[in-house]
Amino acid sequence: MEELILDCNATLRPLVEELKEKIIEALNLEEMTPADIDADDALFGDGDGLGLDSIDALELIVLMEKEYGIKLANPAEGKEIFKSIRTIAEYVSSHRTK
Amino acid sequence: MNNNIVITGEGIICAIGQDKQSVLDSLQHKHSGIGTMQLLNSCHKELPVGEVPLSNDDMRNQLGVRDTLINRTTLMGMLAVRQALEDAGIQCDTVKEKPIRVVLISGTTVAGMDITEDLFDQLSHSDAALQCLRYHSAGASTRLIAEYFDIFAEHTTISTACSSAANALMLGVRMLIAGEADVVVAGGAEALSLFHLNGFRSLMILDHEPCRPFDATRAGLNLGEGAAFLVMETEEGAKRRGITPHAYLTGYGNACDAFHQTASSDNGEGAYLAMTEALQMAGLKPSDIQYVNAHGTGTSNNDLSESMALKRVFGENMPLISSTKSFTGHTTSASGSIESVICLLALQHQFVPANLGWSQAIDGGIVPTLGEDHYHLEHVVCNSFGFGGNDTSLVFSLSRNDRLEIGNDAPRVIKELARVEITSEDQLAEIRDYVKPLEARRMGKIMKSSLLSSLKALRQAGIEQPDAIITGTALGCLENSELLLRQMVEEGETMLKPTYFMQSTHNTISSNIAIRLGCHGYNITYTQDQASFDWAMRDAELLLKSGKCKTVLVGCHDESTPFYRQLMQRLGYDEIPSVNSKAIVLSCGK
Repeated sequence: MEELILDCNATLRPLVEELKEKIIEALNLEEMTPADIDADDALFGDGDGLGLDSIDALELIVLMEKEYGIKLANPAEGKEIFKSIRTIAEYVSSHRTK
Repeated sequence: MNNNIVITGEGIICAIGQDKQSVLDSLQHKHSGIGTMQLLNSCHKELPVGEVPLSNDDMRNQLGVRDTLINRTTLMGMLAVRQALEDAGIQCDTVKEKPIRVVLISGTTVAGMDITEDLFDQLSHSDAALQCLRYHSAGASTRLIAEYFDIFAEHTTISTACSSAANALMLGVRMLIAGEADVVVAGGAEALSLFHLNGFRSLMILDHEPCRPFDATRAGLNLGEGAAFLVMETEEGAKRRGITPHAYLTGYGNACDAFHQTASSDNGEGAYLAMTEALQMAGLKPSDIQYVNAHGTGTSNNDLSESMALKRVFGENMPLISSTKSFTGHTTSASGSIESVICLLALQHQFVPANLGWSQAIDGGIVPTLGEDHYHLEHVVCNSFGFGGNDTSLVFSLSRNDRLEIGNDAPRVIKELARVEITSEDQLAEIRDYVKPLEARRMGKIMKSSLLSSLKALRQAGIEQPDAIITGTALGCLENSELLLRQMVEEGETMLKPTYFMQSTHNTISSNIAIRLGCHGYNITYTQDQASFDWAMRDAELLLKSGKCKTVLVGCHDESTPFYRQLMQRLGYDEIPSVNSKAIVLSCGK
């Protein structure tokens, strides 16, 4: 079982790295590099996370459509998907159309 | 001195009617003006809108205007002002003969964007297309309306997004009370444009069905367009002219939610403060109000937040409430005056307009009225809330306010406590001393220069929070507006960046400062081309002299882009700086 999870992480790794770069660019996270964001960091909410807000969520929705052909009709759908870079990567890998 | 301000004329044009009578008929017969897009040249025909069913040519013909660069916002403004002047018995010829000071105050944001967006891809090579920039700004729209009538001693423009027209009415009252005008014609105008239709679409707050304000199933707003202007004067002035007042504007409240650029706070703090202030000025208790024309856009966020604020203000004494955006669509900058005219019609004809489309209450929300054909109305409240949390409430009454309190007239000396100017992009690096990189992630040049100059000036003055923030800007967030226009031209009306839009209104600057400081006080933005700063300063002095505020942060902020500089050069204008900010802290003592 453990091996399977590791395996899964390994497959996702390139996508995780790609997402980090694209998100830094789309959200204009000045002075941040991919190394500064952990794949499991909470993206939204106060406290330890990155502290993104509703406008960032809308930018992520645009990014999903532009880069991966994933259309989200309702911002509420983003809530679960945009928890962390890893949850985004998982969603993208199973729903992407390009 | 009698400081009661009366309304003596109204003009209105919107999706449900092109004059007061037709608007009244539609309201009383519950005929909504929201429907399929006919005139706006957008690919998003699936989005219902509240259009005025007249082409620009129709309006030009009605007005006898030949210039085809005069945009739709301005044309609708002219039509509404003409009606209002007629209604108030003001003949343009007699104004010129008699020395009465008539001031025009308009609220708009979109202004000439409909024509600019249409010609945008030709601007770089066509000198004919380039001329549209002379008509583009919000200030130009008001100037053109003023020139058309040629009776106005002064004119100015307020741009606080969707509360612009309400703030124009508020300024009118303040100028009349201060004796700076004999008659004020105030209101707002806003045409539909691809720019803001797509902007709101990028924020995912447009409903694909007719909007349902305050309904549990609401899914956003429908955009509308229109214009409305009110003629206001002192009660004595109207008496001298032999005019019977239609109603009194007895109270106003202006506050800033200081929460987020495009969302209202959960407890509706700004809305609560605006309503409370307005009632206090009118000398009324919550139980004196029979009807509230809510801002009620139909978005998930607004209607819940406004419900919270209404419950905090009215508690057990909840008046009838409806959002007439279910008739007109959200007419953005013009909504404050359009809905004020609707309130005046309700007062004069003793009925309550319906909240169309409502069937199911929001959990924790207010329950709106489905309309009352006959209802005793004495005092009504009109709510207008804008992006950046620029919230304004107005109180209209059938009777005068005998308790009206005006600040004492003791002379006050205004002192400048600090002044900071930013004239080059190199200076912007200093923002790091004040704001974390993550917090500055969306800030364009003008946002950084306005915030930095303001924070430095306040620090120099030793003030943490001013009582009021007043901003002047000729063009607002020019860079983001240009980026959105370019993206729309190059990529089409899809997948546009919400960041560009949420930072494209003129008042983004002032509310960014308020959000940073947590400042809920008076917050307003003037945009009158080269006179923007003068109007901001004038308002600051009015405010300080009235005794309402002790410290005011006044700013003037503008920016330009290489593309814009090139265009302005071709039009023969002087070199425009890339960024230019001036922040001043004023205070007063006796």
